[in-house]
Amino acid sequence: MNLDFFLYLVINTIVVITVSPLFVSLIKKVKAWTQGRQGPSIFQTYFTLVKLLKKEVIYSPNSSRIMRVTPLVTMASILVAALFVPLVFVPETVGGIGNIILFLYLLALARFFMALAGLDAGSSFGGMGSSREMSISSIIEPTTIIVFAALAFVFKTLNIFDMFAISVSTGSPSPSTLILIAISLFIIIVVETSRIPVDNPETHLELTMIHEGMILEQSGRNLALMELSAAVKMTVLMALLINLIVPFGLISALTLAGILIAVFLFVVKGSILAGIIGLFESSMAKKRFFQLPSLFAMAFFFSTLIIIIEVFS
Amino acid sequence: MTAENDIGIRAAEEFLGPSALADRIRAGPNHEHYVRIEEPEFESAVEHLAANKFVLISLFCCEGFTENAAQTLFYVFERRSSILVLVRGVNGSATSIAGIYPAASWFERECCDGFGVEFAGAFDTRRLFLHETYPEGFHPLKKAFKNAPVLTKDAIDPADEYPFREVSGEGVYQVPVGPVHAGIIEPGHFRFSVIGETIFNLEIRMFYKHRGIEKLAEGKSPQECVRIAEAVSGDESVANTTAFCMAVEKLSQIPVPARAWYLRTILLELERICSHLGDQAGMLVDVAYPLGANQFSVLREECFRENDRLTGSRFLRGMVCPGGLNRDIPKVSVDELAEFARQLRKRYRIGLKIVLSTASVIDRLATTGVIRPALLRPLNITGPAARASGGKVDVRQNHPYGIYDQFAPKPQRLRDGDVLSRFTIKASEIMDSLDLIERLVAAIPEGDVRSDAPIRDGYTLAMVESARGQNLCWVWIKDGVIERYKVRTASFCTWLAIEHAVQGNIVPDFPVINKSLNLSYAGTDL
Repeated sequence: MNLDFFLYLVINTIVVITVSPLFVSLIKKVKAWTQGRQGPSIFQTYFTLVKLLKKEVIYSPNSSRIMRVTPLVTMASILVAALFVPLVFVPETVGGIGNIILFLYLLALARFFMALAGLDAGSSFGGMGSSREMSISSIIEPTTIIVFAALAFVFKTLNIFDMFAISVSTGSPSPSTLILIAISLFIIIVVETSRIPVDNPETHLELTMIHEGMILEQSGRNLALMELSAAVKMTVLMALLINLIVPFGLISALTLAGILIAVFLFVVKGSILAGIIGLFESSMAKKRFFQLPSLFAMAFFFSTLIIIIEVFS
Repeated sequence: MTAENDIGIRAAEEFLGPSALADRIRAGPNHEHYVRIEEPEFESAVEHLAANKFVLISLFCCEGFTENAAQTLFYVFERRSSILVLVRGVNGSATSIAGIYPAASWFERECCDGFGVEFAGAFDTRRLFLHETYPEGFHPLKKAFKNAPVLTKDAIDPADEYPFREVSGEGVYQVPVGPVHAGIIEPGHFRFSVIGETIFNLEIRMFYKHRGIEKLAEGKSPQECVRIAEAVSGDESVANTTAFCMAVEKLSQIPVPARAWYLRTILLELERICSHLGDQAGMLVDVAYPLGANQFSVLREECFRENDRLTGSRFLRGMVCPGGLNRDIPKVSVDELAEFARQLRKRYRIGLKIVLSTASVIDRLATTGVIRPALLRPLNITGPAARASGGKVDVRQNHPYGIYDQFAPKPQRLRDGDVLSRFTIKASEIMDSLDLIERLVAAIPEGDVRSDAPIRDGYTLAMVESARGQNLCWVWIKDGVIERYKVRTASFCTWLAIEHAVQGNIVPDFPVINKSLNLSYAGTDL
């Protein structure tokens, strides 16, 4: 392992943890604006996380060890997955990291533990949340794999790192493929981060919850970890979309000034995407649970189209 | 209406015979007719009324009404504009009519808790408003019980716990929700039996905050009781006080000045607008469309502020009193109200257009939570819920009170009975109420807003159309004070409609179905 790669690991992790609460707040802010409200401060998510970190953790007497390890497992697997997606700096490829299948299964691991923890406390809402999450994931996972397969076809590699390297050095692929990839990845972001029209992150109605239902029993420090891991996951998926489609700003050589500019550009690009997500969420109501596959089918369809284009062109 | 063509009297003639009826019937002061009925004819009379499409709108009990019976039961039947009350003296036991009129089940359980009257043959004899912690043999509405704190049980034996309807089978599981909910809402327990996501059965349990309103009213002067009527349900203050005052006014033959009725009607319609705006906002929040919801929340807040400007109370409290209104509303405020109504209509139309042109919202609301028209009569479902399912019920039209005979509302009717129909009905009623307010403001006469007359003894029934439907109250004044004050809000009957409306829907759709009816927990739990 060379020094550049080590620095990459450190920088990428710090950046993803620091900027992800900002994007969460930005989406809330945009949604508030569309409703004619002022909305919370863009630093509110940071304040909330700090507050939660200071609070004590309360476990249900019915809960087992699963409840205790889930926040750590979730956070850890999401952070490892975050290493696969360069936010500001693409180092030279190193073996053992960047495999697309591993990336997907790290996300699946986090989700698996979250669903277990939802069941663990024995509350009916947690169970409903877990059951819904698993139903959705069994449909969205094949779709996600097709989307990533399409990426693999476009960039002719199974390694996420190489994709970024290709994107930075040779520029992005043709605009038509680009639009199709962007739409597919956007749908993946919406589904994976439990946003409208799949789930409503702001609801107080337990009966309608999916992601929030699973973490209802979490409290204090553990809840902070769950919230932060959700935010990091969103940022990672957003970065995947941004840096593959608009690689402008990603640097491949390490300098201090370069890093600062790259971070700034990433925050700008991410903020724009967060704004788009906020507008998208405001424009529609949540779908009926059993009609969700129609949304996934769209991502599936576009990705299949990409594969067909790539194979026959 | 003359006695000859009153369908209630005709029906009573049919089951009693004209000669027997003559000395048993008594005309009440508010167009209702009381018919004394004895055990032998009772069952055939109820069957006859059921066959003639009469609806049981209330059943209540009272003590000391006649000398030869410990309790007296009042069965209130309605068909179109006719109200027939069967009065039956009992001594601690009666026959249940819940098999014929399912709406009677909650009423009978309520009488049983309050007065200890047992109903033989009832399919459900569980306690209703007295939960497990109350001691056995405790019946708070008996005159022998003096209003005071009662010693409740600290612990409940699992065998004495409230038995919910058990639904069992492969893959069926129970989801208990409440009584403590997320958000700021009232307490109620919902027990779902679910297969996967589909609701197989729902049982609703209410009465977590029983306040003893009926007991509290006893012995109070009508003036004092207005405050109690106001507190029955926070957002139906005007409706419930108007009903109570109407009863007192009819009894004592107090003439209410015309200006007072104009202003009362304006307040009643403002209350309806506020309630409907809140419901519409709530429905949109529950399908996760805050953009649309906020349009209506903002307008609702504006309405509350207008209420405050007009009356000094956001919930229009402290205005209605027996004989008219406590104070006049100055001319300049009334004129401003007309302008406010015009502005509100304009802004409301914009909001409505945004919502109704959003496909994802329509998709969530349509075909969700259907209340079948066949349920309306057996359960006495009224108000917008009934009108969205093809029902032709509106107290303002069926039993016009005040000046509603001159200013008739034009309620719309839809047949689908789903959440979308209720949303649309509420939208059209807001428009209708705004029209009504503008017409009232244009025609409002000058003059006093209150007339005083001595309170006379007697009893009568009064009904108003609140935002949620038909609110009914029965007032019995004895020696100048309230002897019995019975309120039955529309919510009390319509809760059971939710149990039917949710069947076959999925669990995540329950909140929006519930909100489309937005019933009052407080109005149910006196």
